[in-house]
Amino acid sequence: MRRLGRVFAVLAILAIAVVAAGCGGGDDGGTIKIGASLPLTGDFSEPGTAAQQGYDIWQQQVNDAGGLLGDDVEMVIKDDQSDQNLVVTDYNALIQRDEVDLLLGTFSSLLNLPASAVAERNQMVYVEPAGGSPEMFSRGFEYLFFAQQATAPHQADLFAQWAAKLPGDQKPKTAAYVIADDPFGGPVAEGIKDQLEAAGVSTVYSEVYPPETVNFDAIASAIAAKKPDVIAQGSAGLSDGVNLVRALIKVGYSPKQLFQASSPSFADQYSDGIGVDNTEGVFYAVSYHVDAPTTGNEEFLAAYREKYDTDPPEDAADAYAAAQVLQKAVEEVGEIDQDKIKDWLHSNTVDTILGPLSWDETGAPQQAFLLAQWQNGNEEIVLPEDAATSTTIVNPKPGWSQ
Amino acid sequence: MTQLVQTIVLGLLIGGVYALLAGGLALIFGVMDVINVAQGALLILAAFVAWTLWNDFGIDPLLSVLVTTPLMFGLGWVMYKTTIQWISGRPASMSVLLTFALALVIEGAMGMAWSTTYHAATPGYFAQSFRLGDFYFPKAQVFGCVIAFGVLTFLYVLLRYTWLGRAIRAVSENVSSARLVGVNPKKVAALTFAVGVAMAGAGGSIASVLYPFLPGSHYQWISRLLGIIVLGGMGSLPGAVVGALALGVAETMTATYISPRWATMMPYALIMVVLLARPQGIMGAKLREDAVI
Repeated sequence: MRRLGRVFAVLAILAIAVVAAGCGGGDDGGTIKIGASLPLTGDFSEPGTAAQQGYDIWQQQVNDAGGLLGDDVEMVIKDDQSDQNLVVTDYNALIQRDEVDLLLGTFSSLLNLPASAVAERNQMVYVEPAGGSPEMFSRGFEYLFFAQQATAPHQADLFAQWAAKLPGDQKPKTAAYVIADDPFGGPVAEGIKDQLEAAGVSTVYSEVYPPETVNFDAIASAIAAKKPDVIAQGSAGLSDGVNLVRALIKVGYSPKQLFQASSPSFADQYSDGIGVDNTEGVFYAVSYHVDAPTTGNEEFLAAYREKYDTDPPEDAADAYAAAQVLQKAVEEVGEIDQDKIKDWLHSNTVDTILGPLSWDETGAPQQAFLLAQWQNGNEEIVLPEDAATSTTIVNPKPGWSQ
Repeated sequence: MTQLVQTIVLGLLIGGVYALLAGGLALIFGVMDVINVAQGALLILAAFVAWTLWNDFGIDPLLSVLVTTPLMFGLGWVMYKTTIQWISGRPASMSVLLTFALALVIEGAMGMAWSTTYHAATPGYFAQSFRLGDFYFPKAQVFGCVIAFGVLTFLYVLLRYTWLGRAIRAVSENVSSARLVGVNPKKVAALTFAVGVAMAGAGGSIASVLYPFLPGSHYQWISRLLGIIVLGGMGSLPGAVVGALALGVAETMTATYISPRWATMMPYALIMVVLLARPQGIMGAKLREDAVI
């Protein structure tokens, strides 16, 4: 019993500490507080940290340019530890205790699903830098806006259309789908599958795996036995894609076309993970490219390079774009009125570093992702043609280098 | 048939690596009643050290076992002296709280030192395989397995034939009687904890080649390792080896013949079935509670 008492005492002290930490804010004379909770630790710490960088750069630029509506912007960022429960706690705390004026979203559909529900219940505009799962937009939310070009099922449209239109002898006949049980990754692969099946490409392997899978040896071995022309993987984050490629190299099977949803967009981390020679010809869809001539990209790129001494990852750019969207809407409305901001976004197009973005009544964006491919150790945009940075498409993918 | 044999081989290879990682956890629990939830974080820490040695000094990550193991032994000893010893004799649940806190501290420190991005050691053989007829044996797993069983054999000899080993086993069986025959349980506990953590050191070197990792990766490992030692019998070293091999094969067999969807869940179903039949695990000893105090 005494022991139990001690545990309660520890919990009580912790609770007091947490409350005390939350009371730090106070009143906000001349500042606009923008709250977000990001996965800075845990499974999604990678995109979470990148998103924080994007938000930081934006905050710095806005304040340098005189602030938002003349007030300084203060970002209040919490760490949800990649935990679906904690992210709910965090957004509630941001709204109730920190009394933030505006919200920005978090990373991955997994965390945005519960977090956006908190925002909706409080009737606060929620612009999210990630979260393209169709589940996000089937709930009739009015305050939700996804600041990328398209939802998950349409992420690979350009790839599927390209593969379906290849001339007779090059057109794939069979395909394998490796699908993460993830609200974002799953629909990407399902989207490709629907389109390729409609184009007459038969499915020889299609399996869903749990997102915590690290060992893809059994999956690769089963796929190799089916010898598919196309392998398409839908997953969120870096490691699944790297681990699948490694397993395919080990088993010694290289498909003619390989599409991976997000892993290849992780630049050096992807090429370091599988060996740069093995990246040749791998396709992926991407929302951002450093050379894009889009609104504000030059300033973003310069600021990012100066602060972090490297090129921004896609996730940092997405977060920056989400903040751009919110900024534009607030400036156009001229005051912080959640309903007016929401209405403005529903009926206007915003120019961002990802290009122009507009939304339907569910908050789903109406544009198209870029199709990118690894070529000679570099990431190139290959489609659509007007945004392409390379005029050739590597096809078929060469075999593994080892 | 080829597919079946190949699947079992892949399962045994990864199971061998799991055995090394779970061995340290089983040893620490067996002797000290401490559930070291930080074992996964220590494993990732060793992986980062191995990666740094490979990236900055060109030392092969598997060869770096010779560095990571003694390094982690030292760290384990320091951890015991500064934190773990204060909860000795307390219920195992206290150790879960303490070591979970340590895991979070280590995760945070790794994030500061190496950033929260993925790292991967990719020596020439990282994705190569040995081939024998229709079969393939991934080199990284084969080498990892060899090291794992080398370390486990060393540990077995240590436990079986040295004074320290006998002292460790004596403490794990009965602390009071061990004291009566001149064994200092505190010293033994410190050394055991250090040896257990050292095994995470060797495991980390191997893990750095197998999969990309980041500071948060330790959650994936610790859940699997805890599953293994429950399956094998808490605190039993041979049990951890058997449990690890069983879990490895169960994972790959499920992924191939049922669905990858069930692959990470099936081992836990296996654990439940085993525990229903043998609550002490496959090789766990059945002891009266009052006998182990």
